[in-house]
Amino acid sequence: MTELRVDHVGLRFGGLRALDDLSFTVAPGSLHALIGPNGAGKSSCFNVIGGLYRATEGTLTFGGTDLRALRPHQRAGLGMGRAFQNTALSPHSTVLDNVMLGRHALTRGGFLSCALRLTARQERVHRARAAEICDFLALGDVLDSPVGSLPYGRAKRVDIARALAVEPSLLLLDEPAAGMNAAETAGLAGTIQSVSEGLGISVLLVEHDMNLVMGIADRVTVLDFGRVIADGPPAEVQRDPQVIKAYLGTEAQT
Amino acid sequence: MSRLTKGGWAAALVVLLVLPLYLTAPWLKAGQFMMVGAVGAIGLTLLSGQAGQLSLAHAFFVLAGATSYTVLAAPPGGDLIGLGWDPLLALIGAVAVSAVLGLAFAPVAGRLRGIYLGVASLSLVFLGLYLGQEATSLTGGTSTGRPPAVFELFGFPFSDEGGLAVAGVPLGETERIWYLFLALVVLAYVLARGAVTGRVGRAWRAIRDNEASATAMGVDVGRAKAGAFAVSSAYAGLAGVMTVLWFDILKPDESEFGTYGINISIAYLAMAIIGGLGSVPGALAGAVLVNGLPQILALYSVDLGWFGGTGEGAFTPVLVGSLVYGTAIVLIVLFEPGGLAAIGRKFTQPRRRQA
Amino acid sequence: MNTFVQLSVNGIGKGAVFALLALGFVVIFKATEVVNFAHGSFVMFGGYLVAATRDTLGWAGAAALGIVCAGLLALALERLLSRSRHADPFSLALLTIGADVVITEEIVRRIGVSVPFIGDGWDGHPVTVGGITLFRTHLVALAVATVLIGAFFLAFRYSTWGIRIRAQAENREAAALAGIRSSHVTAVAWLVAGALAGVAVLFIATQDFSGAGLSRGTHSIALAAFPAAILGGLDSTAGAVVGGLTVGLVDALSAHYISFTFAKSAVFLVMLVVLVIRPAGLFGTRETVRV
Repeated sequence: MTELRVDHVGLRFGGLRALDDLSFTVAPGSLHALIGPNGAGKSSCFNVIGGLYRATEGTLTFGGTDLRALRPHQRAGLGMGRAFQNTALSPHSTVLDNVMLGRHALTRGGFLSCALRLTARQERVHRARAAEICDFLALGDVLDSPVGSLPYGRAKRVDIARALAVEPSLLLLDEPAAGMNAAETAGLAGTIQSVSEGLGISVLLVEHDMNLVMGIADRVTVLDFGRVIADGPPAEVQRDPQVIKAYLGTEAQT
Repeated sequence: MSRLTKGGWAAALVVLLVLPLYLTAPWLKAGQFMMVGAVGAIGLTLLSGQAGQLSLAHAFFVLAGATSYTVLAAPPGGDLIGLGWDPLLALIGAVAVSAVLGLAFAPVAGRLRGIYLGVASLSLVFLGLYLGQEATSLTGGTSTGRPPAVFELFGFPFSDEGGLAVAGVPLGETERIWYLFLALVVLAYVLARGAVTGRVGRAWRAIRDNEASATAMGVDVGRAKAGAFAVSSAYAGLAGVMTVLWFDILKPDESEFGTYGINISIAYLAMAIIGGLGSVPGALAGAVLVNGLPQILALYSVDLGWFGGTGEGAFTPVLVGSLVYGTAIVLIVLFEPGGLAAIGRKFTQPRRRQA
Repeated sequence: MNTFVQLSVNGIGKGAVFALLALGFVVIFKATEVVNFAHGSFVMFGGYLVAATRDTLGWAGAAALGIVCAGLLALALERLLSRSRHADPFSLALLTIGADVVITEEIVRRIGVSVPFIGDGWDGHPVTVGGITLFRTHLVALAVATVLIGAFFLAFRYSTWGIRIRAQAENREAAALAGIRSSHVTAVAWLVAGALAGVAVLFIATQDFSGAGLSRGTHSIALAAFPAAILGGLDSTAGAVVGGLTVGLVDALSAHYISFTFAKSAVFLVMLVVLVIRPAGLFGTRETVRV
């Protein structure tokens, strides 16, 4: 089962507690959002799941596998794809080349294999698949363009395409709507939904844009000061007084 | 590659194959020296340009390759150590030794970032300097050095032996070495291009641009870096074998400025930068400039009577070469960081489709 | 035992000179985030001017000129770097490599085969204290370096410029928003670094220190500034001083106890060992990467 379980996870930086007794579960095939005010620990949580930071307490399991036992680069092979806040793409490389990086865990071949062109057939097969994924995300017309020349919105799609190229069962999206206007955000929402529903992939999304989140998420987990303060369907969470207090700082007037 | 480009490469290859029939030995030697540079530069551009690991240690691996070949292929017995291997096996062995040394340095390199790595890698050059001087039974010492074994391919000697001739032109040692070096450059180039366009090149570039995202995509960063070091050192080792065959002697340096010194590390880096960091064809162009210019100037100086002086104020060919490539580095970084490769692309692809 | 003490004291004297170089190196790094591979060429330039004008200006005048001009050369390089549209530190470092080659080769060409002694403003005879022979150059170097480094730290801590450069190193944007003229701060930083290099060469290119006058070897000696700065931590001025002294000591001790050639390797090897244990140097700050 491709369920992500975060169980009483804690993260400490010296004296600072970035995450405190965090627990939530991303059900397979669901669209799960992680929200919270600035500094709540959303990025830290993401980085712990992604393996960039080591949790100081608690456990993380994905599809039954203990993530703490894995080295960071082994997540991709397990079916976890990740798109980044600042895209983190190679600007001088083409769209296809960038997306092909996502196939790394699904392919083999070191220097000698590549140098001697032994991987030619593998390249062809995977390139075709990568092109398919780009088509799905309306990037089919820019496969050979350098990513740096694309407008921001399209570059973000390349980042998502690259994450999808991992053939993930869980897609981690780190503030995908950052820097987008309303129209772009709406388009992005549609894309994320088609990924989640159309491809049956679980999505864990960190976001600030409330409209985006409430519109598409199946379940929302709210963090504040490194702790979970609410966890449930969007409508429920929206009404939760603790959540309102965290965002607005005052008791809600009923 | 477009038809035109393919045609261009084919034509260039034909010209290179035919040149020994027309050029005299000094000119062939100059061309060979450019080829030595090409092999080394390709390796360094892969490491520093593709994988983004700045290395000033290249000269150390060149020395390692040069010494290994000489020791492996030298006849046993006598004061100097020799293992009497077949020269082809010795060449392969030398490349392997250099690769292993590169692998050995990789874990240290892996802990260092960017510029710290560059300076740390300098330490290897100094280590090489010291070992070259001390291990006299291997290297022959700084005053005498030792000669390398004549290269042979399945018994065919790359020397003046045998009285071989084509179309009336005798193919002696210089001509044969030309073909050997040409084959090695072509091999080095083709292998490198395969790597760059393949999975391993993508992984290297991912490491260069963002290690965290490379990791997220499944790249084992430590292992990929180690691979890049091993490959680059292997190339440097091959360049070392070529170096010792070109000079016809293995002679370790007395100071850090010599055949295997910091200046050589910088020269290879210059070739990679001028060609465009990361570009394999660029490395070729860079090598022609950095290694070729001093050689060509020296040849012309004989004809034109330049460079008459030594001593104060003399503009020797090597000096002019250094001034040129130093200036070229500055200009490239300021105005065209993509180097000669980018400039070349502007001519061959004048209109790029922008998305 | 006597030898050890003698070596150590002389080593510290040498180390003081390396500290001056390393300090300049670190100041440049703090101001521009560039690893300045051209530092050796500042040393060469200053030394060349001293050698060239010593007869006409006398040692003191020539030395002053050398110091000022080394500073100006550094400033010129900084101006060149600021012209680069591609501001990433890696490329700029490469640019300094190119600049170093050009400047150093040209100076070496002018020096040619002669190895000009730039002389010294003090009596070159060794001093004997309690049975230990000390090179006068090293003593003067230690004294001068102590004064300069002390003055530098006072300026760094208390002067307007010092506060500004530290602010800028901490957070460039915030500093700019607070009205700190980045270009001025940076220019002064390079000027100071160059001047320190100009002072250092006065000690390096002497009989006591390097056994020779100004030559290509001087540039190689100046290279030791890199490991000194790095092992102390590239962004730590205190680290630069510690690094410089460490390098001087390692150099002096290993040259005697192992071999002269090994000394160079030893310095870099010590740096490597430090880096393996603390990848940002002894006092450097670890870079945290934001994803």
